[in-house]
Amino acid sequence: MTVIVETVGSVLRDLFPLIWSGVITGCLYALGALGLVMIFKSSRVVNFSHGNVAGFAAFLVYGFSSGLLLELSWGAAVLLAVIAAIAIAFVSYALIAPLVFESDLTATIATLGVGLVVQGATLLMFGADIVSLDLPVPRFSASILGLLITGYDLTVLFVAVVTIGILFFVIDYTKLGVAFRAISDNAFAAEVCGLNLRSVHLFAWCVAAILGVVGALLIVPTTFLSSTTVATFMLQAFAAAVLGGFASLPGSLVGGILIGIFMNLFTFYVSPEFSSTFLLGVILLALNIFPNGALAKVGGSRV
Amino acid sequence: MTSLLTVRNLSVYYGAKAQAAERVSFDVGTGSVVALLGANGAGKSSIMKAVAGLVPATGEITFDGEPVQSLPARQRVQAGIVYVPEGREIVGNLTVRENLVLGGYHVPGVARRARIDMVLDMFPEIANKADGPAWRLSGGEQQMLAIGRGLMAGPRLLLLDEPSLGLAPLLVHRVFERLATIRRETHLAIVLVEQNLRMTMRLCDEVHFLRSGRIVGWRRAQDLKGEAARQEAIDAYLGATASH
Repeated sequence: MTVIVETVGSVLRDLFPLIWSGVITGCLYALGALGLVMIFKSSRVVNFSHGNVAGFAAFLVYGFSSGLLLELSWGAAVLLAVIAAIAIAFVSYALIAPLVFESDLTATIATLGVGLVVQGATLLMFGADIVSLDLPVPRFSASILGLLITGYDLTVLFVAVVTIGILFFVIDYTKLGVAFRAISDNAFAAEVCGLNLRSVHLFAWCVAAILGVVGALLIVPTTFLSSTTVATFMLQAFAAAVLGGFASLPGSLVGGILIGIFMNLFTFYVSPEFSSTFLLGVILLALNIFPNGALAKVGGSRV
Repeated sequence: MTSLLTVRNLSVYYGAKAQAAERVSFDVGTGSVVALLGANGAGKSSIMKAVAGLVPATGEITFDGEPVQSLPARQRVQAGIVYVPEGREIVGNLTVRENLVLGGYHVPGVARRARIDMVLDMFPEIANKADGPAWRLSGGEQQMLAIGRGLMAGPRLLLLDEPSLGLAPLLVHRVFERLATIRRETHLAIVLVEQNLRMTMRLCDEVHFLRSGRIVGWRRAQDLKGEAARQEAIDAYLGATASH
């Protein structure tokens, strides 16, 4: 009996910190996933360049704040990097827009090309070396009910909640949000009403770029920055989007948090080496069990 | 009556060979209702979509004296040409009110809110469901929403594509009753594509008969009151004869 109680106690002691850190990482996956889903919902394109563009923007922050390109404050560097990411989103969409109205698949493949070009530009400008990029977050940690909570955790949680909250507010309560949801649901109806589809697509691409930069800047301090770091991180975001049904913004949020927790549990209890395999397994399972997403609701239309 | 819409030699192609309409010409006067009548595949909807700028077309389209054929669909909506598509095409996941916001997307905020109130007054069936998802509406209510959404843009010409499609007779009657009211109160010009001949004859001023993408004849609605004339319209509708 004592052994059972001790085992359960030990599992719970491990479990809560793992779930907590999974939620924190999951918020970052959700930010990435939301960007992918915003673009997919509006343009029906899976944007494979998302991670590369966000990674490039993170490198720009490094370049602008370290003296490599400029010697700016961290805030100014972030602002410039966000502007650059939005500019890249404009150019990417301008390149892909003619394809969007012809074939979703061709447009999706074109994003792979854009991603490779951006990755090439990253290597050309910053080289293949690993660099460290820190966040100016409050440095503290506190233990609450045995759970170690750091300033980084709270910063990620705060930024993710505020960013996602603003996004959901815009989508749910503004005229632009109505246009975005209309195009996602019935693009022809939106066109009949006189909406400029390209403008709404572009809005989604720009928002996705900003979400990507925010996600990249928050994830990099936990690891390091290389030309592939953020693109790899976006694989988790992709899994989160798939788990959420790839066309649901709340689904992406839930998917991100679930992926964060699952990955942590798998890495701790099973094997860190096979975490990528596990992730692909989750994607396959999700596609088979919840083809419309874990939050898919029963809806329909009446005649 | 001055001509609001002038269409000359309008041809619509889907791809290189599939021709939906060929050198079609007609006029729509301010405040008048013109019906396009013909069998399935005669090109009625294609002509409507071409006038709305939703499909590529050649020829001349003049609206209120200005050429509009080179304008994209959104600019034609802003100019006052609004298409209410076949099958309603409402946005099911938006609320009824949001669908109306969508219809008046280019209308400034205050005017848009006033117009929403006007449309909900006009269609009380959807007013008490204004904040619910549009997919929950019945077919008739969805049609009223589609027409209301069209009115939100403040059109001067409404292109109505089969508003009675899939509706029960009572609902068809109700929809046409509202269209008659709208016509009476707003002096809106309407181009109507409709399968329901009886209702069409009640509402319209002129009928153009279409066959294989061409206009093969036209009549004033008042000339189609008799049995023989009605048979002529039915024949045209079925594609059996060409009427001149």
